[in-house]
Amino acid sequence: MDMNQYLAMFIDESNDHLQSLNEKMLELESNPTDLGIVQVIFRSAHTLKGMAATMGFEDLAALTHQMENVLDLVRNEKLAMQEFIFDTLFKGLDALESMVQDITQGGEGKADVTAIVEALQAIVRGEIPSSTPAATASAVVAPSAASAVSSKAVELDEFQQSVIEQSLSAGHQALYMEVSIREDCQLKAVRAYMVFDLLERYGDVIKSEPSTQDIEQDKFERSFSLYYVTQKDAAELEPMVTSISEIESVKVTMLDASSLKEMVSSKEPQSIAAPVIEAAPAATTATAVKAETAAPAPAAKAAATKAPAPAPSRTIRVDIDRLDVLMNLFSELLIDRVRLEQLASEVKVPALTDTVEHMGRVSSDLQNIVLKLRMVPVDTVFNRFPRMVRDLAKSLDKKLDLIITGAETELDRTVIDEIGDPLVHLLRNSVDHGIESVAKRVAAGKNETGTVKLSAFHSGNHVFIEIEDDGNGIDREIILKKALKNGVVSQEVANTMKDEEVYQLLFAPGFSTAEVISDISGRGVGLDVVKSKITSLGGHVTVSSELGKGTKFSVQLPLTLSIISAMLIRVGSEKYAIPLTSIVETGIIKAKQVRDLHGSQLIPYRDTHIPLLSLSRVFEVPDFDEREEEETEIVVIRKGDKLAAIAVENFIGQNEIVLKSLGSYLPETMGISGATILGDGQVALIIDPNAFIK
Amino acid sequence: MDELKVIVFKLATEEYGIEVDKVQTIERMMPITRVPKTLDFVKGVINLRGVVIPVIDLRGRFNLAQTEYNDQTRIIIVEVDKMQVGFIVDSANDVVDIKRSSIEKPPEVVGGVKARYLDGVAKLDEERLLIMLNLAEVLDKTEVVQLEGIED
Repeated sequence: MDMNQYLAMFIDESNDHLQSLNEKMLELESNPTDLGIVQVIFRSAHTLKGMAATMGFEDLAALTHQMENVLDLVRNEKLAMQEFIFDTLFKGLDALESMVQDITQGGEGKADVTAIVEALQAIVRGEIPSSTPAATASAVVAPSAASAVSSKAVELDEFQQSVIEQSLSAGHQALYMEVSIREDCQLKAVRAYMVFDLLERYGDVIKSEPSTQDIEQDKFERSFSLYYVTQKDAAELEPMVTSISEIESVKVTMLDASSLKEMVSSKEPQSIAAPVIEAAPAATTATAVKAETAAPAPAAKAAATKAPAPAPSRTIRVDIDRLDVLMNLFSELLIDRVRLEQLASEVKVPALTDTVEHMGRVSSDLQNIVLKLRMVPVDTVFNRFPRMVRDLAKSLDKKLDLIITGAETELDRTVIDEIGDPLVHLLRNSVDHGIESVAKRVAAGKNETGTVKLSAFHSGNHVFIEIEDDGNGIDREIILKKALKNGVVSQEVANTMKDEEVYQLLFAPGFSTAEVISDISGRGVGLDVVKSKITSLGGHVTVSSELGKGTKFSVQLPLTLSIISAMLIRVGSEKYAIPLTSIVETGIIKAKQVRDLHGSQLIPYRDTHIPLLSLSRVFEVPDFDEREEEETEIVVIRKGDKLAAIAVENFIGQNEIVLKSLGSYLPETMGISGATILGDGQVALIIDPNAFIK
Repeated sequence: MDELKVIVFKLATEEYGIEVDKVQTIERMMPITRVPKTLDFVKGVINLRGVVIPVIDLRGRFNLAQTEYNDQTRIIIVEVDKMQVGFIVDSANDVVDIKRSSIEKPPEVVGGVKARYLDGVAKLDEERLLIMLNLAEVLDKTEVVQLEGIED
């Protein structure tokens, strides 16, 4: 039995819960009195705790439990949210995150969280010290628990015990179950898992002996025992468990506060176990009656707890290399399809033609799916930024809002994986250097809350991610002074530099303009790393800025693998693809309409003249020259609000094409953004119209 | 490992070798899409089972006279540092085992190819010399780009 399958699920779901905890905490922070949000947070934390405890990650569960205690008080309006509580909870979340991270990397998920736990406990105690019976109770029980360490019984630690006690006081039932599996059972671990699975549906397994890991790895005899908290009736549960195949017997013992204490403190588990089991029926009936009367309330509560839990996303993880292989195999298939279509049209057998047509439809559906597999919304990177910016702003004592737009924009997975760190750098930079302190902002007559906009959008063959702040902007003089001091530029060069060129100096290695080096940015190792990373992804960073008004970093990223609509054109014997997004229209012009002006050619277009570019000359096409033609087909392209016409020989048609890189060996070619494979198996180059318009 | 498996190919009059594990596949000549404004010996790109791979004319790379391609012409696809490149060679039709110890330091120029591009020279028998290519150097463009700059 492979425990990894649960582990992967646990990690995925933990990350989901942590993310939603983070998001909800931020929401709560801006709206601290909304108890609805607290409820959601509490539920997430509770689920996380349950999962962690089941998987045996004690530290994770313990810390979540303490956070839950605080949240519980808030939820019951016994504690008002305050700033330091937020900070402590956020710290707790960070610790949880790093533990989950550790687990993801194959670690044990252990961490020293005593400081945070103490802080959380102090919050619980600090407000109304007497209102926390659970905490005191567990403190009292602790020594007796410790004395039982040497015994072989299922030992509960302080935390687990307090969980059971709390559940009892909340009207839940605590059960001690002993399950034995039939001797001839082949897959003990599977049956055990089924028992756990069933129980988990109706409550929480607090502790099992042997541990869940050992059970899953088949490291147990025929029986195991566990502590279980539920709202269900013991009498109802027992037949459900026994109905699982190959389960021999189930002994259920009801626990109350005193029997719990007894079990924990007993040194001779065998002798004490018998009386407890004997006493069980009585206890069961007694509590059953109690449970019945109390039934409506917990039931309602259970419904409230379960219903809004977000449906876990049904995903599997696939090695990205496999997707590449899939993609390539699919391209091969496409080529064969085209050949088949040709053959079918020659042979003219209706049955064959039908089949080939059907295959064509299926394969174009398949194509869409294969291409979409690799695309991931940038939200997977963006979603951690609100929290980061909040912390940053806090530590810098600044006020600012982060506005995210276009989070649904999709990018290739490989780019998504790499883009996170550069964006973190840029955001930090904007918060640290861009946005001014509250005092400065007020003095400058600005709103004391700064704004950082993070936006993503598609444009042509690229995705743009922009980070714009309304801070102080970049001071040309300060940068030049620094660059001169560091010997990055000389005085003569500096005088002639355009603003954009000056801003690019920011990306030079070892350049930092922060007067005071802070721990956030300003070590001078930020922006040059950003630039090299983005360049390695085939992208660009540009900066624009207005002193006193703000700065905008614009990151242009290629869609390394994506599907685009393109117009296929022919020039001589060569075929090229022009992305449809850049095309305004196509047309024909007569040779005599072309006018020469200072060596460049212009054609009339609407009310104005636009430049005419010769593809055959730019690309040195050997077997075509439009100057020998009387009429020339043109494609009018656009970059921003500038237009230009490209002269081609003729149009082949519009097509969905797969973007492919030309490989790392070839140097970047002006005007070429990549390649695609056509239906006949040949490679066609994709034209980058942006390069043609200056 | 004392033995080395080597793909043998011909360029003009000489025989060259590339270690087998650096060679992905050997293909017959296929349609090549020209890439404009690139180095002279870069012939363009091919579609190799869905992957676009640049191909270079190895004669051109070594400044040997370029010839027409024929039935014997082959494209050897090599992979170095995750970079895939195709080499157009006159022919490729042999795999041999050579002893590492039999590889000697190359003289300054072999068959018009500078020593820098070579790992060494192996003696196959009395008649045959096998020139081992240093792929990293062959694929290094910086020197070429600089040279082109000077020539301009």
